[in-house]
Amino acid sequence: MIKSILKSDDFKIKNCINYMVIAAALVVLVVLYNAGELKASYANLLVQIGYSIILAVSLNLVVGFLGELSLGHAGFMCVGAYLGTFISMQLSDVIESKVICLLISMLCGGLLAAIFGFLVGLPALRLKGDYLAIVTLAFGEIVRTVFKNLPWFGKAMGLTTGAVKFTKKDTPLFIIVFITVLVVLFFVQNLVRSKHGRAITAIRDNEIAAKAMGINVTFYKLFVFVIAAFFAGVAGVFYGHYTTPVMYTFFSYNYSIEILVMVVLGGMGSINGSIIAATLITVINYILQKELPGELAALKFLIYALILIGIVIFNNAPKLSPIKERLSLKVLIAKLTSKNRKPEDILNDPAHWDKIPTKIAMDEVLSTDLQPGNEYVPDKPAKGGK
Amino acid sequence: MSILFDGLSLGAIYALIALGYTMVYGIAKMLNFAHGDIIMVGAYAVFVTLMGGGHIALAIGLSVIICVVMGVVVEKFAYKPLRGASPLAVLITAIGVSYLLQSISQLVFGAEPKTVTIASLGTVSLFGATISVSSIVTLVIGAVIMAGLTLFVKKTRTGRAMVAVSEDKGAAMLMGINVNRIITITFAIGSALAAAASLFYLMQIPSVEPTLGSMPGIKAFTAAVIGGIGSIPGAMLGGVMLGVIEKICLSVPVLAPYTTAVEFGLLIVILLVRPIGLLGKKRREKV
Amino acid sequence: MKKFSKVIALLLSFAMVLAFAACGGTGTEETTAGSEETTAADLAYDLTKEGEYTADNTEYVIGATGPLTGDTASYGISVQQGAQLAIDEINAAGGLNGVNFKFDMKDDKSTAADASTGYDALYEAGMQASLGSVTSGSAESFATRADEDGIFSLTPSASADKVINASNFAFRVCFGDPDNGILSAEKLAKEYENIGVIYDSSDPYSTGIYDAFKAKMAELNVTYLEQSFDAENNRDFSTQVEALKDCDVIFLPIYYTEAGLIAKACVAKGCDAFLFGCDGLDGVAEQIDSTVTNKISYLTPFDVNSEDAKVSAFVTAYETKYGSKPDQFAADGYDAVYVIFEAMKALELNNVKVDPAELGKALTATLTSADFSYDGVTGGMVWDASGACVKDPIIVELQ
Repeated sequence: MIKSILKSDDFKIKNCINYMVIAAALVVLVVLYNAGELKASYANLLVQIGYSIILAVSLNLVVGFLGELSLGHAGFMCVGAYLGTFISMQLSDVIESKVICLLISMLCGGLLAAIFGFLVGLPALRLKGDYLAIVTLAFGEIVRTVFKNLPWFGKAMGLTTGAVKFTKKDTPLFIIVFITVLVVLFFVQNLVRSKHGRAITAIRDNEIAAKAMGINVTFYKLFVFVIAAFFAGVAGVFYGHYTTPVMYTFFSYNYSIEILVMVVLGGMGSINGSIIAATLITVINYILQKELPGELAALKFLIYALILIGIVIFNNAPKLSPIKERLSLKVLIAKLTSKNRKPEDILNDPAHWDKIPTKIAMDEVLSTDLQPGNEYVPDKPAKGGK
Repeated sequence: MSILFDGLSLGAIYALIALGYTMVYGIAKMLNFAHGDIIMVGAYAVFVTLMGGGHIALAIGLSVIICVVMGVVVEKFAYKPLRGASPLAVLITAIGVSYLLQSISQLVFGAEPKTVTIASLGTVSLFGATISVSSIVTLVIGAVIMAGLTLFVKKTRTGRAMVAVSEDKGAAMLMGINVNRIITITFAIGSALAAAASLFYLMQIPSVEPTLGSMPGIKAFTAAVIGGIGSIPGAMLGGVMLGVIEKICLSVPVLAPYTTAVEFGLLIVILLVRPIGLLGKKRREKV
Repeated sequence: MKKFSKVIALLLSFAMVLAFAACGGTGTEETTAGSEETTAADLAYDLTKEGEYTADNTEYVIGATGPLTGDTASYGISVQQGAQLAIDEINAAGGLNGVNFKFDMKDDKSTAADASTGYDALYEAGMQASLGSVTSGSAESFATRADEDGIFSLTPSASADKVINASNFAFRVCFGDPDNGILSAEKLAKEYENIGVIYDSSDPYSTGIYDAFKAKMAELNVTYLEQSFDAENNRDFSTQVEALKDCDVIFLPIYYTEAGLIAKACVAKGCDAFLFGCDGLDGVAEQIDSTVTNKISYLTPFDVNSEDAKVSAFVTAYETKYGSKPDQFAADGYDAVYVIFEAMKALELNNVKVDPAELGKALTATLTSADFSYDGVTGGMVWDASGACVKDPIIVELQ
């Protein structure tokens, strides 16, 4: 299975533009950093952007591709941050290099989070929609409550990670984070385009139909939860190496919601969208925090809330969709390149099959009542002939 | 014994909030995350009236009016444009509204908790336990409101229209029911319930702050799901159950720090056994 | 072929990781600054040096982060207001050798990550000394970062020992949690029979005091009843009060907001125990009303109703400016700014562009020197080498 994921069937340059862009940006940033031109604040912001991208892309697998609402993504991150960093701290007694500690603990933290992902995936087999959402939220809160009371992790004080935290003297953490982002993207994009990805989207679009097609729904649901949890755990390990202490307060459901917001703003099922939205939201948060000190800080929340409501309404309100279509980037570009095509044609272009909302209203197709005058008409025209 | 009573009166608050969640969910099919924050608004309304020297009855009235207006306005501007959009988009908007209300109240009233003085009704001894009268009042009025709501839904035209909308929006529309109006009414009733909940909340926990609503909101949502979301008796059952369990956990020192984990763990177990909640209605899934 | 190039790219990126790992591995020294004693030689400083980001400074910049939004926002806002008041007073009196001060506080929502981001923003905006952060977790994060750059931080209110241990340049104005716990345990064990405790299991301050209290009580061989709550999730205290109803005294190592609710729950339950707490209880007077008949008192270095001229001047100025009475946090923030100011004055600093790292060493040397002390609204203070503040608590009684 892993082999078939890593081997993408249809390799096209345009499918890997995103990693090229990220890799190029990374090279530029590394050069800048070595030249001493990159401020510490930007290097740290990059770490935050990096782990946000990992979180958003992995949550998109669950929400956008599998179609299950998860409000507990921060819970997996919490597992990775506490357990992974804890392991890393134990390792740091034996291994001198922080980078190697980090790499090993990334794997361990990810795997431990994946175990939790499996546990959360189990109810997902029985529950749907909002019921599953509240279970994932509950899971996140349970994890947090347990970690805040366990004496090995410093109880309410949090886990002090000073021994393994990356400082200015170490290899810049953002390089490792972004290389991991590339690996995650490589894996996720190939997964999505493989037959497994198509199976997952089939489950999203209609579970019963997918089952009828012989897709192993149980396996794929668990698989997606495990993979998403693994990546969230890795992001958590980065968090633990980026800052100290690891405290339970950070991983509240508010943070899960922030990740969900990244996914929804970026577009469900759009990986590039998640990358852009994760970057944008992290940067907006940073700018608002930087520019609104003191009494103005409450305004930050206000602005954030207004932006959020505005974007969601603009993107989703049925009444506004004509305006949105006219403004959409793809239509604008197409208008410039070819004059004959109407916006509808461009949006429904089969070449972009993965972008078209594939939700087929099966109810309508299968349960339309046959009424007089509305009978099924075979291909030949009923009235046209003589 | 007194733990049971404390749990019941806390549960009555959860139940009232859960009713608001469950009604809105049943009819508009959306999770109104901002419901907890409507309670916060109601609590500030009570606080301001009482500080201004107003009578408690005036405070209740104002709080109900403000909450209802707030609920209807939020529905009109934030949720109505999204009718027909994906439920997730509505959910995110609701979260946005929740943030918005919290930050506005922080800007207006400041972040520090304000204490509210509601005349204490004293205590009584019952079955050897000391119970404050206000918690008995909470229980009784809570039960009355719930019974009234059940009657309203069962007996009045509007109530039955609500049931119809929740069963099948399209069919309800064909029967001449103004679905938009019904949804607005649902929000108004949900918000009025939130105002009532805010008053009972303040009787037991006499302090207001901008984030007051978020945790009771989540707990009540949990209660609504435990009881089977969309079901009025389910919301009551879930709320009371959650309140009692919370109090029992808190009274055991070893277990107390893990109370939240126990409550949410219970939710997961119940959903695994009965995926539709205790009193939820089973929906057949069709292809 | 293209597939092949992709594999190569991936391999190359891994090679890059390993290369960095290698250079990271050889270059690292032990970077975790403990609370090892710093010698005088380490603290040799040069106050004429300019810092990397301070070249454009026209005022001395004192930075801090704290929760200005979210659940704990009230603490951060109090510190911010207290510190700003001190800055305004200093500037009105002509600053330091005619140079004004500027106070800049970023919101950290009480999270470590945001404290770190806030620190970056402040450092690059020319911060020269800092008040660290308000809550323990963020303050630890801030101090760890500040230690890398050698920036001085004097936290007003983060009382966990981990905070001052995280950096050689980290100090505090408030009491440490263990001090509070030990003092309370000694006092209560001596004076009362039936002792009960209600603590907040979700809060570092509360668990810090409680753990020290528990250890001390075990040492003194005194038994007591314990109850706990989780401030994020429970605000209804009827069960806890019910369980401790028959105690003579209930120890509350918590903050004033919850303490006010507990006092009211006592009324509802008809419990007349004496409520005793630590400095977090300061401000509880605003949270209760005449219905509360319990005797309440707490260990604190700051009493808002004190007759002391300095304190009453501060309280009046604060009330005029912000329209409410200052609490412990505001007083600590106010004092912290003045301590930094006095220390800079003692250094005869006359360089607005002073390098923060040099100033950090200088301030550390000044604060730990035997002849430096400061008498503020929270009492007379001296500092030991660990960064802890030594001062005497007073016991404030309400009603």
